[in-house]
Amino acid sequence: MSSALNEVETRPPVTLGALFVAFLKTSMYGFGGPIVWVRRIIVDERHWLSDRDFADILSFCQFMPGPNVVSITVCIGAKFRGPAGALASLAGFILVPWTIGFALGALLLSYAQTPLLQGILHGVAAAAAGLLIATGIRLLLPHRHRPIALVVAALAFGGLALAQLPLLVVVLGLVPLSIALAHPDSVSAR
Amino acid sequence: MNSPGASVSLVGHIALLAIISFGGVPGVLPDLRDFVVTANGWLSDRDFANCFAVVQAIPGPNMILMMSFIGWKLGGLPVAIASALVTFGPPCALSYTAFHFWDRFRETGWQQRVRRGLAPVTIGLVIAGGYVMARVGDSGWASLAVTAAAIALMLLTRINPLWLVAAGGALGGLGVL
Repeated sequence: MSSALNEVETRPPVTLGALFVAFLKTSMYGFGGPIVWVRRIIVDERHWLSDRDFADILSFCQFMPGPNVVSITVCIGAKFRGPAGALASLAGFILVPWTIGFALGALLLSYAQTPLLQGILHGVAAAAAGLLIATGIRLLLPHRHRPIALVVAALAFGGLALAQLPLLVVVLGLVPLSIALAHPDSVSAR
Repeated sequence: MNSPGASVSLVGHIALLAIISFGGVPGVLPDLRDFVVTANGWLSDRDFANCFAVVQAIPGPNMILMMSFIGWKLGGLPVAIASALVTFGPPCALSYTAFHFWDRFRETGWQQRVRRGLAPVTIGLVIAGGYVMARVGDSGWASLAVTAAAIALMLLTRINPLWLVAAGGALGGLGVL
């Protein structure tokens, strides 16, 4: 536990350029699951954050709106270098990778009608949908002993996927309910 | 066919979805599909699925790119760029502002309560996103089997997800699905 403190003290300085490059790399590697790559590069490779600090930022960003990995980028950049760091990280993450990805993707989409590519895209989508579901299940595991959490997750799933309610309705309906039911000391109250 | 009004309405809807996309962008896919395919008929189900598949097959910020491609289909490059900007811009500003408060009040009870309350909602939304994408475009049993296999391998092994995406693509390319 005390090693977290030592890590903070020995942390090397992080420059704006280094932030730009690190997140450029994260983004370009980020097939499928970008969060995996953020952890690998920021924690394992650069040693900028401990696993615990990273998990803390991740848990915050996981329920901020917008692309999670972009929030992580902004928060890590801001943690080291303030507003300039946030902008440098964000620019690294988006500018070049978006341009390359858009050009590549637009090309693929223009040929999407050919049977071969259609088949490949179909298979990729099927596998990627599985990855999303698996990610959700993995995130749900730590909550498996909280019946209320399971019910809320099931309601969110059912409302959106089965009842096809608008996202706004599901979020506005469930978030206040879920927070009201979530006691910080859950055992004592229920 | 698609008026400028449609583009504005699309970008507005993406902006709204992005700012309420607690738990990340995959959770907005069901609503977005409803809006773009079912309600307005701007894209076919297959087009929508293709956009999703393409962004899994290329590097880069995939959900931002997905919004860009939907915008591109509707109104070309300007709408693509506008869709990208509204996907990450407002949420980024919000994250940046909120992070300072979050860091300051880390150990307080209300924060733990909010954290506990939001988590299951966001998780349900992510799973719903995967479910809807798995069923898009009249998927047959073979395609559902690929999805199921990907779920199992992802949960039970430490395999790099990239291989699963590649295997899905290979099976699809061979005409198995």
